[in-house]
Amino acid sequence: MNAVAYCFMNAMESEASAIARGLRRRDPDLLDRLIEQYQHRLLRYLVYLSGDRELAEDLFQETWIRVLERGHQYDPKYEFSTWLYAVARNLTIDYLRKKRPVSLEGLMEDEEHAPRPSQLEPADTRPMAWEVVQQHEQAERISAALIGIPVEYRETVVLRFQEGLALEEIATVTGAKLGTVKSRLYRGLNLLMSRLKGAQA
Amino acid sequence: MTRDRHDEARELIALGEGLADAKQAWLRAHLDECEACRNYAEAADGVVRALRSLPLAADSRLVRATQMRVRFHAGRLRESRERLWLVGMACLGVGLSATLTVPLLWRLFAWMGAWAGVSSWVWQAGFAFFWIAPTLVVSAVLLARGTHLSNSHLGGNGEKQWR
Repeated sequence: MNAVAYCFMNAMESEASAIARGLRRRDPDLLDRLIEQYQHRLLRYLVYLSGDRELAEDLFQETWIRVLERGHQYDPKYEFSTWLYAVARNLTIDYLRKKRPVSLEGLMEDEEHAPRPSQLEPADTRPMAWEVVQQHEQAERISAALIGIPVEYRETVVLRFQEGLALEEIATVTGAKLGTVKSRLYRGLNLLMSRLKGAQA
Repeated sequence: MTRDRHDEARELIALGEGLADAKQAWLRAHLDECEACRNYAEAADGVVRALRSLPLAADSRLVRATQMRVRFHAGRLRESRERLWLVGMACLGVGLSATLTVPLLWRLFAWMGAWAGVSSWVWQAGFAFFWIAPTLVVSAVLLARGTHLSNSHLGGNGEKQWR
């Protein structure tokens, strides 16, 4: 069991090192592969972070441009996805600060910028069927509840439960302490549950 | 059972997977005896499953556009790095040749000054002009046609800009 874990860790390390080498060379084939590999995860994170699909798509492109420009800064001792989320997060904060001088926390009270659930719809539209409609409605309900909670809680909940990051990785991405991440996760989940309960009632 | 134990249990539930064995065992024991926390755990599990099932995907046009943009930008960065390398090499070459030729040129100007019978400040001024003239000419040419910095990737190249 330990040997398997050791092999797995080694494989992960060598993959991270290969990515770091490729990024230093600005290898376009590697970047193509990474863009495809992380397309859904990164876009989902950006949509829930910015609360706007169109803006998230712009930020998606800018994130990869920044990855290209600053790839030499990637440290292979971290997972690539952790670094990628941190790059995306910084870009989003920079953009939002430039657009209007508020902090990320300031978005908490900013109802104007709360996106409509329809903006979070999947790009892919499938043939209408009862089950699909039901799923769609449920997805809208959850999206609406998710975007209704303060952005720092939303971010932590998305990174943990949608993207499957470990608590330490979330702390690295957000630059918050581990204790803060834990408390944001707890509060975020509670807020989400109460909003969903409220929506059902 | 105090309120703190319930809070602790709910905090552990919110952390999701990856708890230490001892904490997991404590949580299991607590959930066996506390219905409220068991309900909370079920509700949390439902929310997490719902979150994971959210269908949000990038469309293929966005991916292709991003890949093309990244390739284009990589090409520009490569060009700019090559230019920078050429400028660096040219500077190095000029520096080396200057180090080698200055003493010889100085002697040549001194000899020409003596041969023409002019005072020393005249041939020294000639030497200074000869030394500065190429730099002045190159600067004037670069100013006239623009350096690589004026058409860099920082803007105005047709790439998508921030809204």
